[in-house]
Amino acid sequence: MEFEWIKIPYSLLTLFIVINFGLLLTALIQKIGARVGRRHGIPIYQNYIDLIKNYAIRSSITHGFMFYLGPVFRLSGGVGLLLFVPTIYGSEMFSNLSFAGDLILALYFVFFGALGMALGAGESGHPHAAIGVSRGLSQMTAAELPFALAVFSVALQYQTLSVTDIVAAQQGGVLNWTLFTNPFAVTAAMFSFLGSMMRPPFDVVLAPQEIPIGPPTEYHSSYLALMQTNRVIFPVAKIVIYMNLFFGGAASWPVFFLKVFLIYMVSVFVGVAFPRFRVEQSIRWFLIWAMPLGILAIVLV
Amino acid sequence: MVNAIFIIATGLGTAFLLGLLKDEWRTAAYGITLAALALMSWIAASWVAALAWGGAATVDIFTAGTEPPFAINLRMGLPEAVLTLLVNLASLLAAVYLRDTMFKQGRRAMAVLLIFAMALCGIILTRDLFNLFVFFELTVISTGGLILLSRDKRALGAGFKYLIASQVISILLLVGIIFSYHATGTLNIDGMASMSAQLLQGGSLAFFLMFIAIVAELKPFPANGWALDIYESAHPAFSAMLSAAAGSAALFAVDKLLLIGGTQWLPVATAIGIVSFIGANLFALAQNVDRRTLGYSSIAQIGLVLTVLGQRDILGDSYLYIAGGILLAHAISKAGLYWLSGLVEGRELTAWTALRGRPLLIFAFVTFLALLIGLPPFPGFYAKWDLIHTLAAQDRIMLLTLILFGALIEAGYLFRWFGYVIKREQTTERVACTPHKVAVVYGAVIAGWTAAYLWGNLSPHGNLLHTLPLLFALGFLLLEWLPVWIKNTIAIIGLVAWFILGFPDYDPLQLIFAAVILIGGALILLSSYHVQGRRIGFYPSAMLMYAGLAMLITADDSFSFFAAWESLTVGSYFLILRGKHSEPHALSYIIFSLGGAFLILAGFALASQGVMDFQLQALGQVTEPLSAWVFMLLAIGFMTKTAAIGVHIWLPGAHAEAETDVSPMVSGILLKAGLFGLFMLLMNMGKQQLYGIELTHVMLWIGALSALLGNLMAIFQEDAKRLLAYSSIGQMGYALFGLAMMNHLGWLMALMFVINHYIYKSMLFLSVGGIAKRTGTREMYRMGGLITLMPLSFIAVLIGIIAVSGVPPLSGFGGRWIFYNAIMTADHRLPMIIIFLAGPIAFLYLFRLIHTIFLGQLKDEHRRLKEAPFWLILPQMIYVACLLIFAVVPGMALRHVDSYLNQFFPNHGLNWEGLTITSSFGYWSPISIMLVIGTIFATVLAWLLFVNRKAQKVKQFNMVFAAERPYRPETTHYAWNFFAPYRKALGFLTQPLVTRFWEALTDLLHSLAELLRRFYCGNGQTYAIHLLGFVVVVYLLKVGL
Repeated sequence: MEFEWIKIPYSLLTLFIVINFGLLLTALIQKIGARVGRRHGIPIYQNYIDLIKNYAIRSSITHGFMFYLGPVFRLSGGVGLLLFVPTIYGSEMFSNLSFAGDLILALYFVFFGALGMALGAGESGHPHAAIGVSRGLSQMTAAELPFALAVFSVALQYQTLSVTDIVAAQQGGVLNWTLFTNPFAVTAAMFSFLGSMMRPPFDVVLAPQEIPIGPPTEYHSSYLALMQTNRVIFPVAKIVIYMNLFFGGAASWPVFFLKVFLIYMVSVFVGVAFPRFRVEQSIRWFLIWAMPLGILAIVLV
Repeated sequence: MVNAIFIIATGLGTAFLLGLLKDEWRTAAYGITLAALALMSWIAASWVAALAWGGAATVDIFTAGTEPPFAINLRMGLPEAVLTLLVNLASLLAAVYLRDTMFKQGRRAMAVLLIFAMALCGIILTRDLFNLFVFFELTVISTGGLILLSRDKRALGAGFKYLIASQVISILLLVGIIFSYHATGTLNIDGMASMSAQLLQGGSLAFFLMFIAIVAELKPFPANGWALDIYESAHPAFSAMLSAAAGSAALFAVDKLLLIGGTQWLPVATAIGIVSFIGANLFALAQNVDRRTLGYSSIAQIGLVLTVLGQRDILGDSYLYIAGGILLAHAISKAGLYWLSGLVEGRELTAWTALRGRPLLIFAFVTFLALLIGLPPFPGFYAKWDLIHTLAAQDRIMLLTLILFGALIEAGYLFRWFGYVIKREQTTERVACTPHKVAVVYGAVIAGWTAAYLWGNLSPHGNLLHTLPLLFALGFLLLEWLPVWIKNTIAIIGLVAWFILGFPDYDPLQLIFAAVILIGGALILLSSYHVQGRRIGFYPSAMLMYAGLAMLITADDSFSFFAAWESLTVGSYFLILRGKHSEPHALSYIIFSLGGAFLILAGFALASQGVMDFQLQALGQVTEPLSAWVFMLLAIGFMTKTAAIGVHIWLPGAHAEAETDVSPMVSGILLKAGLFGLFMLLMNMGKQQLYGIELTHVMLWIGALSALLGNLMAIFQEDAKRLLAYSSIGQMGYALFGLAMMNHLGWLMALMFVINHYIYKSMLFLSVGGIAKRTGTREMYRMGGLITLMPLSFIAVLIGIIAVSGVPPLSGFGGRWIFYNAIMTADHRLPMIIIFLAGPIAFLYLFRLIHTIFLGQLKDEHRRLKEAPFWLILPQMIYVACLLIFAVVPGMALRHVDSYLNQFFPNHGLNWEGLTITSSFGYWSPISIMLVIGTIFATVLAWLLFVNRKAQKVKQFNMVFAAERPYRPETTHYAWNFFAPYRKALGFLTQPLVTRFWEALTDLLHSLAELLRRFYCGNGQTYAIHLLGFVVVVYLLKVGL
């Protein structure tokens, strides 16, 4: 795969679609969550209003250089992650910038935004930001492990690290999906998925009650807007990876929308039903319940 | 050539002559004594010259004009000449040293000294048993006299105990001689040797008595309480003679006696020797008095030589070279140390701190210790190398193990002592620097280096003192008077020049290591410009380490490899010891390193099977089942240097407590020596199996566990440098893991780690060092908010942590990408789980490092801090540039290595065509990644700048904080125990089990020594019983059972 200039407008198109889809999707998810809790919830267009309002706010302060760059790191991380992975299988148009690297690039680029964001929040000097980061990083180390094991298992299974090739191997029927050919890996990865979606029982990082909002505490106006933009892109980007690795990818946009929604819903189902873990509890949970599945996936593949 | 009998005649005659002088003519008497000793030395020296270089042959001197057995004969051969020279020179120097005492005591003391020297020469020269007895008696009498020269009140008691013991010995010897004479009808040693079969058949008791008497003269452990009292209480000049001269003479007597005993008595000598060596060294561990420590060490060294004498049957031509090397090293160093002890007032080991501030005396001290331990380039090093190789070739593995174990204990207490001297609080007592005494000490130093040069010349492996890098390092000793910036410039030029000189001959693998060591070393040295003054001791140590490293990567044969290994170990030890609080850590480092080095020595010795010129490539031809053991020994040795888990406990302290510019050297560069060793090992030996277990598989687990536990321990550190140090354990674990995978990409990943770890760890250590310099603390929670005050340090740390964590687009990602491709073809999958767990943990400590130092709340006392010194910042900025370049074009360094690795693993290499690097499984385009991320980042930033152009900078406490306004940075900065939840969940994994294990082991050794040393109760009668008990036990073991 080589670079062509036409990839740039195509990528921007992907980005545009995903942003809009993400804005609607996250609002819908929030609404579903609210309905389960017998609340009315936000209107489906609420995210657009928030975003426009926050970008438009003119009063803003900064705590310094890194504080300023934090949201930039965060959004770059989300956009990059989305664009490094092909969105629609078999479409040259929506293969995005995946020529730059394979699955491993996407896996490690996930941390780019998180790291930059954590640094920016740290410069605000607010202890809650630091506490949130401390919790988030701690939980992440355990949550990422089953996913890493699952990815290794899948890569071994298909003998490739290229996302496109992995999707290609799953074509030809639902039963060819990794979900059915390597169920242990998928289960382990889905456990890990719960840990990274910022929903209960693993959302102590943002902990809306005890700590105002975790790392983003001091961010407001356009900073917050950037982060909100990311908040709609990032889950989709992440789900795209899951979809490609485990659920046969998507050959068209409607299938894409459906699969992303359904995968997202997994975390919602769990989230509305379970209370929140403390960090050390979630670490133990991942090591005790999710890691053995990952090990099994590696051994059996 | 002057007849050798004049040595004895001069001594005896002058002693009588002194009796004729008036007691007041002390100057004259002293002059005559010196002249006599000088003459005796000269005669011996002329014989040494004639026998060693002049082609002269061994000469027999017939005293009464007839041949033995009708008259006594003396023999002057090369060993006799060297030993008489040693005895006479030692006595001459002792006489100079004793000038004041001699003047006070008068001519009688001088006469006794002369008799002592003469008697020792007699013991060496004579070939007649009864004559030997006579000379021994003369030694005893003169020893008794010389002991009384001391001002120490205990000397009288010690002398008395000595006389009791000597009488027991004399009686045994005399009875033995009588019976032997009865059995053989001759007193001539050679005559008896030719009839030894006859003697040993019926009169083995007779021989035993003679043998045990002479052996008892060596003061073997444990029948030696009386000797220790002498060593402790006698005048140091006499202790020096007793240890160096009398010990050597008695050893030579044993050697002569073993001619009679033949091979069947060699094991007895070996057993007594090795028990002495280990026992005395063990006891020395519990000592804190200098002269008694030296006494134990003397006994140990003499025991070692006795062990060598016991190996006479297998040593062949190298017998004299080995025994002589160890003996000479012992004699010179022990004499030197005793003389040095005379300059120091206090008797505690710590009292030697008085030597500080006298660099030349410290140098003398170091020389003596190195001689004693047998470090390169001293004779003991060559001798031990040959000895261990011969033992291994002859399957005397148990003995080999015991010798190395004893040597390790010895190195332990000697280096501990050195640590005291350099680091403990200096005593107020000054060194008594009388010029003639100091001159004597320097005389011993010169003798030591001369011996080093001679032994190097005699060695079949080539003289280490002819190797340019070592000479360059030693040359800095002569430049110590220059200011730092000149020495630093010379050092940098030297490193770069050596790289350029060697450049055409390096293969790609060596080139990577050479670049890291030499160019990398020069880069780190840039930071040394920030030090003012002369910085005495730094450059010889640092350059010794670099010399060792430079020699290591080009070594072809096992000897030069090992010599380089020891040099870099010792150099780095001195370097680490320079840190303010690094005394215990440097000690732990050197003990682990020497332990590792001894394993390597044993490994090479086993592999070579007696081939002295053993090429490293020949490791591949070692056959099973030996090869697995060789592999294991070498691998553990190298892993000690990379601080693999289990042998890692030295690293955190050593790296954290070292000086600012030393930490990057020992972390960024020195650790790579271990990796290079492992590369060499795996390249030549490949996979090995021991009892069906694949050893590389074990290494895989060790690597994974090191990565996990190193990272885990790093996140709980409050000290920034300790955090980085633990992180090194983790990083080296990754590299070890890559190597142990035994596939193409695994090795490439390990090499990537070599480069990356050098760059980012050196950079981080420099940044943290600079910050610690400014803030005066290394505790991270005491810092905070330094980003605006130290922006350049911040940038270095930021780039550093992104690179370490492996986040794209920096070079750490390349390492991760290669890692994932490597594990696709790995044979074993389970260790990956641990590595996967270890990976994200790195984020934890990295974030903590940057957050708690640079972000969060600025402390009041830090508000006026300045950026770190220019010379610390400059190399960091160069590293930042390097990291960026290496991130974009990793192929520059790696593609050549990649194709080089094809000869070991032809499959699964990388394809470097075009901008994208492809493997059999995936692809990666560093330049595209950099451009894409850069573009996205710039676009988002531009957008933010556009919508947020009026952002105002606010003050520190302007933030939303539960309706309160915080007012103290200390209470607002969330930093201490940063990962508390993590500790709750996984803290149990960081229990210091390994530390406890090693501590328990050293405690056990110390308690054992403490308990057993009560055996020496100080009572003369008990000592006599010990002696008799010893005799009986040896007899029962040898003859009776």
